[in-house]
Amino acid sequence: MLVRVLLQLTVVVAVMTAVSTAAVVGRDRLSKTRREYRDRLKSAAPITGILAISLLFNSVAREIVPDLSWMIGWEVTEAFYNIEGGFVLWVQSYATPVATTYFSFVYIYGYVFLLVFPVVAYFALSDTRPLRELLTAYTLNYTLGLLCYVLVIAYGPRNMIPELAEALLYDTYPQYQHLTRQVNRNTNVFPSLHTSLSATVAMFAYRTRDVYPKWMLAAIFLAVSVAVSTMYLAIHWTIDVLAGLVLAYVSITLAERFVGRWSASDLIEEWPLVKRFAERWESLRR
Amino acid sequence: MDRESTLENGGVSRRTLLAGAATGLTVATSGCVRQVRSVVNRDTVDHLSVSIATVPADGDRESVQIANLLADNLETVGIDASVNLLAEEEFLRAILVNHDFDLYVGRHPGGTDPDFLYETLHSVYADEPGWQNPFGFTSMTFDDLLERQRVLEGDRRRDVIERIADSVAAEQPFVPVCVPDENRLVREDRFDDWDDHLATRLGYLGLEPLDGDGELRGIITDVRPTQNLNPLSVEYRNRGTIVNFVYDSLGTVAGDEVRPWLASSWEWNGSAATVTIRDDVQWHDGEPLTAADVRFTYRLLEDTSLGDSDVPAPSPRYRGQSSIVDSNAIEVHDERTLTIPMTGSQNVRERAFTVPILPKHVWTERTGGATVPGLPVEQATTTAVVAENVPPIGSGPFQFVDRTGRESILLERFDEHFSRADDELPEATVERFRVAVHPGSPSAIEAIESGSADVTISTLEAYSVDEVTESESVRLLESSSQMFYHVGFNVRNAPFSNPYFRRVVARLLDKERIVDELFGGHASPVATPLAGEWVPDDLEWDGDDPSVPFFGADGQLDESAARTAFEEAGFRYDDDGKLLARY
Repeated sequence: MLVRVLLQLTVVVAVMTAVSTAAVVGRDRLSKTRREYRDRLKSAAPITGILAISLLFNSVAREIVPDLSWMIGWEVTEAFYNIEGGFVLWVQSYATPVATTYFSFVYIYGYVFLLVFPVVAYFALSDTRPLRELLTAYTLNYTLGLLCYVLVIAYGPRNMIPELAEALLYDTYPQYQHLTRQVNRNTNVFPSLHTSLSATVAMFAYRTRDVYPKWMLAAIFLAVSVAVSTMYLAIHWTIDVLAGLVLAYVSITLAERFVGRWSASDLIEEWPLVKRFAERWESLRR
Repeated sequence: MDRESTLENGGVSRRTLLAGAATGLTVATSGCVRQVRSVVNRDTVDHLSVSIATVPADGDRESVQIANLLADNLETVGIDASVNLLAEEEFLRAILVNHDFDLYVGRHPGGTDPDFLYETLHSVYADEPGWQNPFGFTSMTFDDLLERQRVLEGDRRRDVIERIADSVAAEQPFVPVCVPDENRLVREDRFDDWDDHLATRLGYLGLEPLDGDGELRGIITDVRPTQNLNPLSVEYRNRGTIVNFVYDSLGTVAGDEVRPWLASSWEWNGSAATVTIRDDVQWHDGEPLTAADVRFTYRLLEDTSLGDSDVPAPSPRYRGQSSIVDSNAIEVHDERTLTIPMTGSQNVRERAFTVPILPKHVWTERTGGATVPGLPVEQATTTAVVAENVPPIGSGPFQFVDRTGRESILLERFDEHFSRADDELPEATVERFRVAVHPGSPSAIEAIESGSADVTISTLEAYSVDEVTESESVRLLESSSQMFYHVGFNVRNAPFSNPYFRRVVARLLDKERIVDELFGGHASPVATPLAGEWVPDDLEWDGDDPSVPFFGADGQLDESAARTAFEEAGFRYDDDGKLLARY
């Protein structure tokens, strides 16, 4: 079941990315990329490595986070419900079969596409800084998000008020729960990483609007859809979505600073061990 | 002189005046302060605020809905109520081990014989962890009745049980809400003969494979068995269906009776049973299973520290069963026979045969106290009750092969199991038994309908039952149920210690509507925890609860009636309409 869902996801996102690349990135940038990809890869390699490590760490940590947070975490489900009352219910009051299909699609496919495509699009730019910043911001989103998950135990609306907030996604398309439970636990709702990562992408798209004007519009539209979908599908509270926006902002601001401050070449100069490693790597490649 | 005298007079009079004033002031203030003391030292009475513990909708959608309904109605009658969601194992730990709750909504494992009320309500268990008396209910009258039903037989026992049922209905130490229908989905194109109860091991034995494939694919909707396979762990077990595949018990429940299983027979000599274990039985690791293992098991259930700990550490599960056995007087005659002295009538005594027999050579090492360096641990916590027990070494028809956390468990047939050699007994007909975890019933139903699984071991959640499309090869099986939804009170604390208060709270629950709306009719409302033939006539459901009828009608709470009832029970409301209580 999981394999089928994953395959479907891969195919759909690959198609979406290919079409968007053709439409947004354009032939010129792609052919230039073919010539420059080595250098770009090299400059993006350190942060890609860090992101990969943090994702690996995340997948391991996910196993222990629930145990840890039930020992030290702060239970806030009831508080969230009391604070925001029925906002999610209000969103759900506009439920139609078409909207459910749309938001379910956006929550699964739209979201993954939103994360994958800018990596491709920014890789196609000679200036690797947006790419490096984006990957740094992803890393920060995941890492800070995980920290919040340890400290805060919260169940989403579908778990707290099932009689009011329908679990639209999982009741309509139960197969997707096989996928989402691989990457998340039902106590990890604060903040909404769907929202924070989508907002991160949208904010980057806004910054790079001169290069990719069409992408900005698409990204903002998709990011808003993803944020709404998390509430529409009763997976997140509004508070989680707002916290997601804050996390996105924090991640981008920090990413900007980090990328400016520590470039890989400085690192190589300053750390003899790293330098030696880099030299050996160079000699091996030749 | 005059002047002097005047002065003197004045002086005297001033002194007199001062003295008089001082005395007067003292008298006056002392009265005043005493009154202030009387006022100030009376504690203020607070608004009553309660927390209802329950589990999130994933896995059990109805509990949290009942909790929300109850919370709404409590708010309506002036009691602040909040619903506290806890992960299943955390929930069970909070209510059963730590007794840290006001109210909870959950599923009770119930029992076929009414003797399960013994451990559920006897005072002696008020402080123990486990399903034995989590409420902290204590009553001498009750204890007496519970003890008497154990020893009586026939109609005399029935009378006592009727009295117990009536008293439970009157006192409401917990509110039984409804018995959910036990629905499971099976595929009949690969295996036939799904006729034993699928919550028991027999349900999965003696299946007739219709095609050559030797794998049975079951589905559970609970991740806990992939994390912990300890039969004594109360937080990780509901009814222990999965661990019962791996462990054997002396007798096995078949319908209403207990049939010999690991024991080939037992003979009663008074209230002592002389048990003969089947020939040549082995543990999954190849060690022989002997009468010493059986004695060890009963002693371990009685005290998991085997007397080593300063405080006895009884097992949180199988407590009722082990209390029937006098474990210290068990006599082992040889490798295969032993005499087990017990108390109670025969029906009650046979319950003791249903506990899983544990290997002495594995569990002796677990009698020590569990420790976490640097952290205080509750004294009566032995490794035996907190061990994950993976891999489990049992003697049962299936042996453990592998597990993937939160995803699946793989079992394979234990070829040396006694049922393979005995034609009278149902045996494992499949070579492998794969148990996969699904996130919920809708996904489990889809898997069965699409042919990627054969049986849902977990029961289908009520909301999903109507989604089932039965076909030639897919069948919905309904089995008898002993489990029930209930609202538990922590009667250790005021105001839940007051039965009148509990009765009024019970009357805030519209069980009929809960069954109709939350369970879509796939449950039966109940007024008593007893089931079937044991339900007394006056506690049969007749459209409303005969003992604690709902305040109101058609789901509409009659607020003033409920408030009046609280006032009649001696509680008061403040000007804002909030209930006041000392707690």
